[in-house]
Amino acid sequence: MADTRSATFALVITGAPYSSQAPQTALGFAKAAIAAGHRIDRVFLYGDGVHLASALCAPPSDEPHWPQEWAGFLEQHGISAIACIASALRRGLVNEAEQKRYQLPSANLLRPFDIAGLGDWVEGRMTSTRTLYFHAGG
Amino acid sequence: MSTLIMIDQPSYGSWSGREALDMAFSLAAFDQPAALLFTGAGVTWLRREQDTADLGQKSVEKNLSAAPVFGIEAIFADRAACQRYGLDERSLIAGVTLVDAISALLNQYDHTAFAG
Repeated sequence: MADTRSATFALVITGAPYSSQAPQTALGFAKAAIAAGHRIDRVFLYGDGVHLASALCAPPSDEPHWPQEWAGFLEQHGISAIACIASALRRGLVNEAEQKRYQLPSANLLRPFDIAGLGDWVEGRMTSTRTLYFHAGG
Repeated sequence: MSTLIMIDQPSYGSWSGREALDMAFSLAAFDQPAALLFTGAGVTWLRREQDTADLGQKSVEKNLSAAPVFGIEAIFADRAACQRYGLDERSLIAGVTLVDAISALLNQYDHTAFAG
């Protein structure tokens, strides 16, 4: 039987917060995995999932703030989280470098999320024991 | 590690199919074996001679025709879905392999993924 105690996970989130449950399901999984002694290697936001990394989300005060919940979790556990650059640019999510490059009025990437290419997803698949996808659903 | 990227979204009206294609191209660019499987409404990607002038979108047929150049190993299509969407071998783009047993195909790959 495989030693599952050493499992590492790459999580890919493609569903946006507040229009899908993907980010909160992924966070629930990530917390449970760490509590069980596993490691989350990295988180990759793709497609509509990049909205999770927006610093401009302002949900009503009696609703969970999923971008902040995720950001706090990532910082607490030192987990790398990347938003796909092609998905991000199309959907209006930029860091300061992309703001300058495209001469946009502001940057809105929430720390500690970073922006990078699909190569980071490819690398995550190779280095992690498992890659799990969290989609928006039907 | 071989990967099968599945596209089950129609060619226009949703962006997730295009983003799945980008995933496949990215794998190939990093020398990771990758193939594409079109199922459900996704088979509409494979129609020959798509005219998208009125849609204001680039034709997915052009994107897809680059797949072999990028190093995508195969393009599979679910035969039953093709029949449902009125596609036969003459109306499909070149280089598509029709498959009947999806579960057998999935077993040939280490990793499978949808974009969304």
